[in-house]
Amino acid sequence: MSKRYVAVFSLLILVTLLAACSNAAKTEPPVAVTEVPATTETPAMTEAPATAEPTIDTTGMKLTVLCGPQEDWCIAATQAFQEKTGIETNYVRLSSGEAIARLSASKDNPEFDVWWGGPVDGYQQAKDQGLVQAYVSPNAAVIADNLKDPDGYWTGIYVGALGFCSNTSVLNSLSVETPDSWQDLLDPALKGQIAMAHPATSGTAFTAFWTVNTLNNLDEEATFGYFKELHNNILQYTKTGSAPGPMAGRGEIAVAIIFSHDCVMYQKQGMTDLKVSFPSEGTGYEIGGVAIINGARNLDAAKMWVDWSLTAEAQEIAATVGSYQLPTNPDAAVPPEAVKLDTIKLVDYDFVASAAAKKALTERFDADIAPAPKE
Amino acid sequence: MLATTSKHKNKLFHKISIDKGLVIGLIIIILFLLIAILFPLIKILGTAISKEAIPYFVHYFKSSVYLGIIWNTIKLGLVVGFFGTALGFLFAYVQVRTNVPCKRFMHLMALMPIISPPFAVATAAIELFGRSGLITYELLGIRYNIYGFTGLTGVLVLSLFTVAYMNFQGMLRALDPSLDEAATNMGATKWDVFRTVTIPMLIPGIASSFLLLFVEAIADLANPLVLGGDFTVLASRVYIAIAGEYDVFAGAVLSLILLIPSLTVFILQKYWVSRKSVVSVTGKPSGRTMIVTNPFVRWGLFILAMFFSCLILLIYGTILVGAFTKLFGINYSFTLEHFKYVIFGLGSQAIMDTSKMSLIATPIAGLLGMLIAWLVVRKHFIGRGILDFISMLGIAVPGTVLGIGYLLAFNNPVIVNSKVILPSLAGGTAIAGGMIALILAYIVRSVPAGVRSGISSLQQIDPSIEEASISLGANNTTTFWKVTLPLIRPAFLTGLVYSFARSMTSLSAVIFLSTPEAKVMTSQILNEVDAGRFGNAFAYCDMLILIVLIVIGILYLVVGKSMVVNQNLGVSS
Repeated sequence: MSKRYVAVFSLLILVTLLAACSNAAKTEPPVAVTEVPATTETPAMTEAPATAEPTIDTTGMKLTVLCGPQEDWCIAATQAFQEKTGIETNYVRLSSGEAIARLSASKDNPEFDVWWGGPVDGYQQAKDQGLVQAYVSPNAAVIADNLKDPDGYWTGIYVGALGFCSNTSVLNSLSVETPDSWQDLLDPALKGQIAMAHPATSGTAFTAFWTVNTLNNLDEEATFGYFKELHNNILQYTKTGSAPGPMAGRGEIAVAIIFSHDCVMYQKQGMTDLKVSFPSEGTGYEIGGVAIINGARNLDAAKMWVDWSLTAEAQEIAATVGSYQLPTNPDAAVPPEAVKLDTIKLVDYDFVASAAAKKALTERFDADIAPAPKE
Repeated sequence: MLATTSKHKNKLFHKISIDKGLVIGLIIIILFLLIAILFPLIKILGTAISKEAIPYFVHYFKSSVYLGIIWNTIKLGLVVGFFGTALGFLFAYVQVRTNVPCKRFMHLMALMPIISPPFAVATAAIELFGRSGLITYELLGIRYNIYGFTGLTGVLVLSLFTVAYMNFQGMLRALDPSLDEAATNMGATKWDVFRTVTIPMLIPGIASSFLLLFVEAIADLANPLVLGGDFTVLASRVYIAIAGEYDVFAGAVLSLILLIPSLTVFILQKYWVSRKSVVSVTGKPSGRTMIVTNPFVRWGLFILAMFFSCLILLIYGTILVGAFTKLFGINYSFTLEHFKYVIFGLGSQAIMDTSKMSLIATPIAGLLGMLIAWLVVRKHFIGRGILDFISMLGIAVPGTVLGIGYLLAFNNPVIVNSKVILPSLAGGTAIAGGMIALILAYIVRSVPAGVRSGISSLQQIDPSIEEASISLGANNTTTFWKVTLPLIRPAFLTGLVYSFARSMTSLSAVIFLSTPEAKVMTSQILNEVDAGRFGNAFAYCDMLILIVLIVIGILYLVVGKSMVVNQNLGVSS
């Protein structure tokens, strides 16, 4: 009897594996990219530069990307880059706080060449800690000034706004209206029904924190007071910023505090009960950045990555994998799903100040708020 | 009686038998223990008791919140240890001492958790018993809150009890039934026999199961992250301190706090067991195992074990089905997307890397385990107890703590007098992309299980066979390879199987050591679970389970040929 179980079980998996193989064989793009000749292909992306060599022989070049956005986007972007340049591109996905931790841990001996995606609060913090180096890409000229670091340490690749991602059927069963203010989240009926990420690991969560802090005119005590109260309604703090989204989508919680474009993505993936709303007091936004790691082992490849990631072509990849951020390159097509920034109220988000305060704030959050028992 | 007569002979045998093979073996083991266990621990201690760390201690022990967290951690360990041991015993007792149908099914179900990453159960449990769970909400209409202490306990017990099961199963089989018979002949009832013969004989097993489960539970990182809710434990605090802030001092201090209960339980167990240990002196069990005949007891046990078996089947069924389901809980249409993502996306590298490292670690850990067990049980030398103790630290020390120790010890080269004594072993720029530290961590975490099963197996075997080998002129090396290892082949196999499964599924010790060049599957799965892409996580789990099953199958074919046929211990040569 038992042998049959094992046999059936293994057979099932084998069959599906084979099926997966044949299925993928049709759709998978060719992985071999060695034939990309350095002379003909590369100028497309290094047109403008006077600094970089117009022709770079990419054979044997490698690039390790520290990737901040959704994993799907990481895969799509690194594959596209690898196909285009022939550079063997590897990535590890880490949330913003994890990225900083990891970068400072291997400061003397960096594992990564380039950091791509994730709120620039983290990039600014990395700049302050000497973890990233300045590089003004020739392609950065088209990016608006308020979307890049004046010293060239980071450049914006996308913009997204923070929102509330609610599960309407859970809200209905709790008889709670869709929240449209930060105060609404404190409703005792939402006890254990809200999730957000942990600001120490997640840039998303820190964006939420700084947004409230901005609304409180940078009165930290008031902000901690707010999050202390909100803590009673939080089910748990996740590691990754977008993680509360699918929790809401599956009905585990009523409201997720995440970036609105992620909420739209989960809706599109089939979590149809989800609904985006924005706080009326004002919401925060992120600029997703790109920067070269200080001491990068593959500096040329890293520069090529930065150049490429600022092109319209690279930024349009996002929407193909369900990431509906606003591209920073004005030539890039704006996905219809993207948030219309002129329809919501944004806070005046000071990325320099937030970065400077980030470490102390997340530490205090981690010490005083996150581990505290609920009332 | 047998014991007293052979005592004198034993002494002689141990004295004359020191040769080159033995010395080399000892040196390898000592070097391994020094580099892979002691050095990282010393690094952690050094960091935790440095001047900079004092304010952290003050903060943690003054804060009622942190005292609460410490208490939570201990509570979780005790409760999981208790229920896990009980469940493991139930399954083993049904397996060995009852004659009921579906025993192979129950056996397989009991073994399932060991070949899957711990959060596989957690994730499936959310889908089945969460607030919108298939069973709790869709079927029963309850919005059960799985996030928190009870949910965490349940998931941990189901994820970890296999260790106890394997422990008890081996011991129950090895128990000499003639003792039971003797007791029965003298008029004892079945209950008396169980209480006064079986249980005392099993006390070492109970204690070591409890120890393993306690330490595993308080060290577990993934489950508290996935469904801890507002129940915070030390391990997840340690994780946030390192992963979120790279605050080495906070990490080291919290590690030390986590280390104390683990080591306390471990040392308590060692003393307690050594005083209460009842080891049968005869070699192989003779006669037939006593079977439970009382129908109430028999079927009661059967129903209970079947209930848990079906629960496990349901959970693993969810993991299997979930991998082919578009959005479990919302959209049940069939898809291969998740597998495509896992096999052709980034998963392929993680799968290859993890398998490769585990395959390297497994034979090393298996042999080291048997060698240490043999030295500890059969050889009398100074420091024998210390050797046993240190080798067990791999399991007594929580994985997260070991991981941080590795980070501190191996991220930078060890330089003494401007000479590189030990190159950097961990991190993306270390030699072999940081794989060496990962493999070492795998070995350290796997060796104790091998040592334990080796020791309990050797203790049940009379040394006369090995003595005969020595008397006939074979040296220690030959005796170990040709006599001891075949004799304890089941224990060796257990060690190997456990090593591989454990390496493939371990997370807490390696989560900080994963690099771009050496990706770890479990940490990828955690990312998928955390990001809510359960389908991908399930596909990963399925792949991992498949790989482990294949390798276990090969191990059984290669190493365990005779073991399946002959259920008795030590009759294979």
